[in-house]
Amino acid sequence: MSISIKKNIPNGVQDYAPLECKNKRSVEESLRKNFELWGYNEVQTPAFEYYDVFAHGIGSYRQEKLIKFIDSDGRILALRPDLTLPIARLVTSTHKDLTFPLRFFYIDDAFGFDNPSARDQRQFTQAGIELIGESSPYADAEVIAMAIESLQVAGLTHFTIDIGQVDYFKGLIEEANLTDKQGEQLRKGIDTKNMIDVENILSDSKIKGELKEKILELPFLYGGEEVLEKAKEFATNERSRRAVENVGKIYEALCSYGYERYLSIDFSMLQEIEYYTGMIFKGYVMELGSPLLGGGRYDSLLAEFGYSSPSTGFALSMKSILIALEKQSGFKENINIDVVVGHDEISSKEAFKFMQKHRSEGKRAASAMGTSCEEILVYAKKIGAKEVYYIKNNQIEAIK
Amino acid sequence: MRQVTIALSKGRLTKYSVDLFKKCGIECEGLTADTRKLIIESKNSDYRFLLVKPSDVPTYVEYGIADVGIAGKDTIMESKTSVYEMLDLGFGKCSVCIAGFEQSAKKNITANSLRVATKYPNIAKEYFMEKENIEIIKLNGSVELAPLLGLSDVILDIVETGITLKENGLIILERVCDVSARVIVNRVSLKIKLYEINELLLKIKQVIKEEEEQA
Repeated sequence: MSISIKKNIPNGVQDYAPLECKNKRSVEESLRKNFELWGYNEVQTPAFEYYDVFAHGIGSYRQEKLIKFIDSDGRILALRPDLTLPIARLVTSTHKDLTFPLRFFYIDDAFGFDNPSARDQRQFTQAGIELIGESSPYADAEVIAMAIESLQVAGLTHFTIDIGQVDYFKGLIEEANLTDKQGEQLRKGIDTKNMIDVENILSDSKIKGELKEKILELPFLYGGEEVLEKAKEFATNERSRRAVENVGKIYEALCSYGYERYLSIDFSMLQEIEYYTGMIFKGYVMELGSPLLGGGRYDSLLAEFGYSSPSTGFALSMKSILIALEKQSGFKENINIDVVVGHDEISSKEAFKFMQKHRSEGKRAASAMGTSCEEILVYAKKIGAKEVYYIKNNQIEAIK
Repeated sequence: MRQVTIALSKGRLTKYSVDLFKKCGIECEGLTADTRKLIIESKNSDYRFLLVKPSDVPTYVEYGIADVGIAGKDTIMESKTSVYEMLDLGFGKCSVCIAGFEQSAKKNITANSLRVATKYPNIAKEYFMEKENIEIIKLNGSVELAPLLGLSDVILDIVETGITLKENGLIILERVCDVSARVIVNRVSLKIKLYEINELLLKIKQVIKEEEEQA
């Protein structure tokens, strides 16, 4: 028996029916407007590029995570798994013509397998910004402030932004003289707060005394402002000390902007530490089991493409925002039609004129394809129309 | 006679299977419903029984480690193995059903596909293939819990009496298929041990017939 899958869609993609689509576009529009107000300019990059852009070095993807196909000349192409790598490529190849610092934003789809930040989606819309050519903590504070404002303009009221700093950990690892492998094991243990693993790794290594105690405390270095004090106490090496100082400045700046209530600090947040070089952050809501946005400083990425420049930014998952929004406060936008107009054979011109008049006033007007007034009223009710007219012999009559 | 290896499901079907082979006249002292042994041989060594996890029976048969197996139709469907399904034993009857709340809760606009919690992802995939897009949530037990806690919209599971569903406020929404215990045979064994397996199948058929007549 052959199965007809013509009606179906593959795993990891979705249709956006009118109501969800409308609200998605509305959120995108709010974000776009806000990004622009902050002086950011929108860029678009191709949906697919040479596989090489995504395949090697810092920020690269494992082969099996990319959706690939073959170009007519035999080269491998891949659908973009994120927007940051294409922008890094764009900036590197055109930097001579650009004025730094660059403020870029994007709202576009990315593609890939098993993207944890996009649940099980294989095509997912991301909105994000990149601030390129600025290394000060105020650049990082700007990016986080924009992440907070993005969630606000999207309509979310309750959320948390968790700020970390990968350099703090890197400083401790240097101090401890660990091998790369031990360091990676330790990173994993601390990031997942697996204390048993952390203790085992430490007892296998030569780390003793005070330093051991500090690393054992690391998984618990999260919370409010008090964490900064504690982290400062622990930071005996230069790199870790500077990392705490850096987060301190960012945190202080954000508090002075009035965002304190959204913030928390977590020095044990240690994901993608190859990619990120300084501050990192993630955004959470109670309604979702995974972060809905993430970002940080990635100063070494552009050098991968041949032009070195400090960079910071974030990306948010549009689907996660929509799910959270629907759960927190429900969707704001509806797809109702304002005016419905029915007409007889001879009044089509009059009906057209009448509807155009409403449209010019910003009302949504649609013609009713029914013959009787009853039919038109039923249709009008279903699509939420407040005004219903019937035009007979070029005479307009309000029937609701 | 060459020895025939038979894989039996440990669990729901064990008692029925043991009874069946007793009635077939196979002398096998060790073969009881509560045995802890995993490999049991009949007195004259004609048969060897393996006691394995239900979902593993089709695997043992497909690889030819067992020539014959007794497994529920649900397990066979889920395993997607290529074996001969030769007899319906008539016991272990139940149905594979879609169950959920009588009145489905208002669906979120952002929930784009029906979420189905199940122990049988393959059956679910196949069943919904032509109907609608679903998100399968694989669970290993107490599947009824999923819709109660909002992990899924519906469940796909086997229903014997329906008591568990009822006690948890769920009802059967759709019946996917009826299932019962089946005799499955390895494709090569059937050719190579033609005589031995046919004899066994005949014995089993006879028992089924007698049981039917009694009932």
